[in-house]
Amino acid sequence: MAVDEGEHIGTITDVVHYALEKLRCEANTKCYNKLSTSGKESMLLGRYEEQVLFRYYEKRLLDFCNAFKPTMPKAVVGTAIMFFRRFYLNNSLMEYHPRIIMLTCAYLSCKVDEFNVSSTQFVGNLLQETPAGQERVLEQILEFELLLIQQLNFHLVVHTPYRPMEGLLIDIKTRYPPLENPESLRKSADDFLTRANTTDAGLLFAPSQIALIAILNSASRAGLNMDSYLSECMGMKDNREYIVKLNESMRRMKKLIKDYELPKAEEVSAYKEKLERVHLEFNTSTNKRKRGYEEDGHVAKIQCRTEDEEWTDED
Amino acid sequence: MDDQGCPRCKTTKYRNPSLKLMVNVCGHTLCENCVDMLFVRGSGNCVQCDTPLRKSNFRVQLFEDPAVDKEVEIRKKLLKTFNKRDFDFPSLAAYNDYLEKIEEIVYNQTNNVEVEGTKQIIEQYQRENREVIQRNKVKLTREQEELEEMLLLEQQGTEQRRLDLLQDEQRQLQAKRKNKQALLDELERSRVPATILLAQHKDRVAQLETQIEKQKQAVKTSTVFSTGILMGQTVSLQPMAKIEEVLYRYQPLFIETYGPPVPELDHLGRLGYLKHVRAALPQDTAGGYSSGLACHRALQDAFSGLFPIQF
Repeated sequence: MAVDEGEHIGTITDVVHYALEKLRCEANTKCYNKLSTSGKESMLLGRYEEQVLFRYYEKRLLDFCNAFKPTMPKAVVGTAIMFFRRFYLNNSLMEYHPRIIMLTCAYLSCKVDEFNVSSTQFVGNLLQETPAGQERVLEQILEFELLLIQQLNFHLVVHTPYRPMEGLLIDIKTRYPPLENPESLRKSADDFLTRANTTDAGLLFAPSQIALIAILNSASRAGLNMDSYLSECMGMKDNREYIVKLNESMRRMKKLIKDYELPKAEEVSAYKEKLERVHLEFNTSTNKRKRGYEEDGHVAKIQCRTEDEEWTDED
Repeated sequence: MDDQGCPRCKTTKYRNPSLKLMVNVCGHTLCENCVDMLFVRGSGNCVQCDTPLRKSNFRVQLFEDPAVDKEVEIRKKLLKTFNKRDFDFPSLAAYNDYLEKIEEIVYNQTNNVEVEGTKQIIEQYQRENREVIQRNKVKLTREQEELEEMLLLEQQGTEQRRLDLLQDEQRQLQAKRKNKQALLDELERSRVPATILLAQHKDRVAQLETQIEKQKQAVKTSTVFSTGILMGQTVSLQPMAKIEEVLYRYQPLFIETYGPPVPELDHLGRLGYLKHVRAALPQDTAGGYSSGLACHRALQDAFSGLFPIQF
């Protein structure tokens, strides 16, 4: 999602925006270079293709979390998507298959947000697999979990905008009588937040800002003017700059959301095939189940142990 | 604990934990019963290695691993001949070489390596150093005697103390009895009223007890006061030098939240926030939860980070 050439690069958000895009390109090129030594450059994914696939898998993650039984709280869903996004900021889709990473993100976010689901219950939600298939998926999840945590730089607590939104609603109800029914704002603000989840907004703005913008947006949709709230209650009247900046951020976020387009089905299937081929080609050499963290030599896996046992038997 | 059973009757060791294993020169174990059965004629062959053995060579096993016992026996026997001491050698290196030689011989004999050669080495050493061996034997026995004497003395000392204690107790008992008897006699004989006599008697008993206490305490002479200062040490009574330091001033914690100020937790009810929060159920309040806590947290999350950061 590149910034338009016409826009003035002035605020900190722009810088961060550029940086995000740069990170993703870097991750892509790094993987590209790593895998292209074997000479099959044509089958590797480019930046745009990765983006499309990323959006597709993100949507799938959202659907998986929404169809989850028992019902996953919104915070857990938000955390899962944030993990997914952060992970693929530094890694390429060609290195780690998004299908497994997506499930690992969901699993990890359940743990982090104290939404207690046993692992069997978790894989029980994968309805298209047989129980044996579910077992295999569980093993893969457990393998990738530590790698995911490592790539997130061990920053596991994610502040989603849901609680700030509740806080703002409480504040509006208490201190802003002119607005008769703040509850009416809740539904569309929720919608806004869900759509903002699928954009980079979480990486660019503070969660309280996102929540405030969601509420302002839904208020303006309903035709209500909340400027007095901002200036009186938030104490922003002394500082008109804040309001200007807030409007700026609001504009930018709306643009982000507008720019988000659902991935097209033909593109997705074409790129998915390419991805599968890449994974088949380059990741069977290191044993189909890629062990990311094991290369550091920290954890001895069951596979390794059986290999050792065989060796001693022959010995 | 019972690491393995007797190799011959196998089960008996588990069933009878008091049964002991016996080892002998070839390093193999047999339980007591098996030894009796096999060596009823006094001599026979080992079950596992077929070396000819005598019943008298069997010793009760002290270590779990019979190989260790075997080595210990070999060492004991060897050190009777190889008994040179460290001052018999001109240098430390020479002494260490000698010790290494001994270890080699022990190893050879334990693992049945080069049995013939080792035997020859031993015999040669014996021939060469006959006087030295003799001399050292004598010295060794003398040292052992000294050790034994010291042990004996210690034992005698403890015995003596025990007897003294007993005697003391006896004397105290007797004194008490005499006192009682004296009271009875006086009650019989004297004309003084009984209450006064009883009071006198009590006094005497108290005196006796304090005497006993003093005796017990006199045994424990202390040399230090409880603060650690030795008795008899002169302590200077000058005042200590004052060390002036900067007084600690409490500064309350201040965190920049980049947002509008959040009302304090205590004021939330007054300001009317709690009306719009779900009230706490009785079960929740039992654990210390109050609706204000959730409200405060939501407000903090909502307000922090709202103002853009200036760079």
